[in-house]
Amino acid sequence: MRRLRIAVTADEAIAMSKEFYSKLLLESVYQPLVSFEQLSKANPSVLGVFFRYSLWLMVLPPAFALIGAANFGWRLGAPDPLLISADALLLVSIGYFLALIFGLFSTALISRWMASTYGANTSLGRHMALITVVGQPLAVASVVHLFPDVFVNVLVLIPTMIWSMYLLYKGIPIALETPPERGMLMASSLVGWLLVAAVSLLGMSMSLWTLGIGPLLGV
Amino acid sequence: MSGLSLHKKFEENSALLIFGILAVSAIGGLVQLVPILNQDSLDTASENSQLYNALELTGRDIYIREGCSTCHSQQVRPLIAEVERYGPYSRADEFVYDRPFLWGSKRTGPDLHRVGGKFSDAWHRLHLIDPRAVVAESIMPAYPWLARRPASATGNIAAKLTALRRLGHPYTDEDIAGAEQALEGQLEIDALIAYLQSLGTAQDYSGG
Amino acid sequence: MMADAKNFYNNQIVIRLVQFSVIWAVAAIAAGVYISAELLWPQLDFGQFWLSFGRLRPLHTNGIIFGFGVSALMATAFYSVQRTCHVPLFAPRLAWFCCYGWQLLVLTGGLSLLAGFNTSKEYAELEWPFDIVIAIIWVCFGIVFFGTIARRKIKAIYISNWFYGALIIVIAMLHIVNSLAIPVTLGKSYSLYAGAQDAVVQWWYGHNAVGFLLTGGFLGMMYYFLPKHAGRPIWSYRLSIVAFWAFTYSYIWAGPHHLHYNSIPEWVQSLGMVMSVVLLAPSWATMINGVMTVSTAWEKLRSDPALKFIVLSLAFYGLATFEGPMMSIRSVNVVSHFTDWTIGHVHSGALGWNAMITYGTFYFMVPRLVGRELYSTPLANLHFWLALAGTMLYIMAMWAAGVSQGLLWLSVDQIGELSFSFKDIMASMAPYYALRLVAGLIFLLGTLLMAYNLFMTLKGQQPVRSAPPLMQPAHGVG
Repeated sequence: MRRLRIAVTADEAIAMSKEFYSKLLLESVYQPLVSFEQLSKANPSVLGVFFRYSLWLMVLPPAFALIGAANFGWRLGAPDPLLISADALLLVSIGYFLALIFGLFSTALISRWMASTYGANTSLGRHMALITVVGQPLAVASVVHLFPDVFVNVLVLIPTMIWSMYLLYKGIPIALETPPERGMLMASSLVGWLLVAAVSLLGMSMSLWTLGIGPLLGV
Repeated sequence: MSGLSLHKKFEENSALLIFGILAVSAIGGLVQLVPILNQDSLDTASENSQLYNALELTGRDIYIREGCSTCHSQQVRPLIAEVERYGPYSRADEFVYDRPFLWGSKRTGPDLHRVGGKFSDAWHRLHLIDPRAVVAESIMPAYPWLARRPASATGNIAAKLTALRRLGHPYTDEDIAGAEQALEGQLEIDALIAYLQSLGTAQDYSGG
Repeated sequence: MMADAKNFYNNQIVIRLVQFSVIWAVAAIAAGVYISAELLWPQLDFGQFWLSFGRLRPLHTNGIIFGFGVSALMATAFYSVQRTCHVPLFAPRLAWFCCYGWQLLVLTGGLSLLAGFNTSKEYAELEWPFDIVIAIIWVCFGIVFFGTIARRKIKAIYISNWFYGALIIVIAMLHIVNSLAIPVTLGKSYSLYAGAQDAVVQWWYGHNAVGFLLTGGFLGMMYYFLPKHAGRPIWSYRLSIVAFWAFTYSYIWAGPHHLHYNSIPEWVQSLGMVMSVVLLAPSWATMINGVMTVSTAWEKLRSDPALKFIVLSLAFYGLATFEGPMMSIRSVNVVSHFTDWTIGHVHSGALGWNAMITYGTFYFMVPRLVGRELYSTPLANLHFWLALAGTMLYIMAMWAAGVSQGLLWLSVDQIGELSFSFKDIMASMAPYYALRLVAGLIFLLGTLLMAYNLFMTLKGQQPVRSAPPLMQPAHGVG
């Protein structure tokens, strides 16, 4: 990895080591707090985090969704599954993937924007890595998409999401080196943003459906 | 800033603040409510309006008492799927005798505005006493007590009709005089079924 | 000096109102949990009319709004108006009348709902005798509140008092206009308005009862307790002025968004929608004001579990005030109307915003009122996580349920026929209702922990604070 600066600090050395990302990937599953500690000692580059870490996790949910829906069709609870054509399915999966990428970058940028208010570290790479660690349980749990029944998905993903929120509250002060109290404030602000983003997504989908894009509605 | 110094007056004078709040908050209500309350088409009976008779009115009051409107709407929206599912969409002149309105805000169960005539009285009776005997998946509460209480127990029906006449419902003296009689021998469940069967049947939509 | 200050303000009434508020919170949340179980197992009413869903549901909503909510608002209004005006309560006997009169009203009103005296107008279900009593107590509340303000020693009326003032004035206006009816018997009346007109009047009331009670009233709570807690003046006083008037002006227009595609004139629907979207601006301005006030005072969080609740309540306030305008857009509303998403939206406000800010305020206020430490800080921290988990689980379950309902109800196939029967869609809701039940239980458990914690604090087994609590008249924010 090329660096513009000549002096390579110890932090960057850790960030560049090959094991950094694989360790992050594995450790954050069973000892996320250690991962946060690791992050607090590193200033990884944005591209490094994205290509070596986040991207691989973000491929999972759309891939699982594609495989699951193509084989079984989505069950919204009603007896008949909602079968979607292969083309549309591919399009939806790509849209899902792009939405995840957009979600990661926008959340990381907003998180960095907030960081100055809460006295937190402002390295964008670190924010991206933190958000990926926080979202990792969800990416892993998205394996449930292989069984495309809305309720089963909800049952698995909502508790996972609450776990992710807990990680967010725990992770921010450690990884971004801010006192726990300020970290708590920052995490709450981010939760506010994430909730608003989630509900916007719902609203936008509904508007699109009403306009005739997506499932056929009699409106 | 002059705006801020003007505002200082409100901040330091409680009477002015009270008046300010009242004035500012009243505007929106006045703009919406005054025209609506004066719009004749919303409170003038038409061929689509049907006056509830003594039994139906009693049934309607039971519907209100049991909180049926917490789970059932009475408002078919002008959407293809709703018209297909429930029947012709609801019109304002169908509700001019509805005090209060019962459009609801939640459909835990289906909309009922066009339920009149869709099921037999016997079906309704069975369904109200034991919903799951008729619809296995139903989560509706059972209302066994309706089949035990006489319809006249819900209140003075003549007084109700008189009160409504004061509000402009065209009940005749005979209607009021015969009201008690109309409830005689009827149970609450009969009244409620009569009300349900009357719902949404007034409008003549044969012409499209 | 301290002894005098302790007796200077009327604190006893605040403590009593807090106690009642907590009792109603437990009772009304428990009723909510029970009816959510009834949606899974309808046999739970055991054939008893007073356990029937249709009667317990208004009990749940009225218990929360009028029992828990209004008692908490009265408590905090009485607490803060004395301290921001530097005078004890005006007409303390009248204040005690409000306190006990209101509790008696909630109790008897609740029983009357179970007995089936129900106007069926949402959040105005109580019959006319209760409506008259509400109006009388409300006017007395206004006399005590504005009387205290009139005798104030501080020239400027502090911003929290404007919101409490707007609560008193606007709710009185809404309540009186919406409740106009012709009585038939003691337990039955007929609305002065009929059909479509009644619908518009009712939602003008219903929406603004949420607006000026659950939003405005609780913003009054925020404007006093957040700066007080943080030990900082409000971030931007000018923003709070602008936001207050914009809020008071624009909220009142938004009611018709509850009646999209219903049988009311289209211009009212469109007006309601536009003004609902406009409403986002003052709502968020207030949120930003709160967030910025607390963001510089983070050290306070270390010693105080209470502030956490208030901080998190602002996040949910942000969600609810964004979600509302979004759901009022016709193309969204066409799918979301009549679904469980509406229920979820109400609860993101009621659990996330109202309950959390109130819990935070109680954890702050009660130790100061009795001059002792909170009985257990770890218990309060545990309550925080339970409240957060319960709220998240609740709103997400209802999002999923609402979106499925809206989508499936309207789904048609290629030849335009309905894809799903209502029965099947309804049956498919059971799993979401089960999740919601779990969410409610988690939230109820947290509330019970708080009730125990506050009870033990009031009972007084813990050490007296080394430094006297804030008993002097307020400075800085006053």
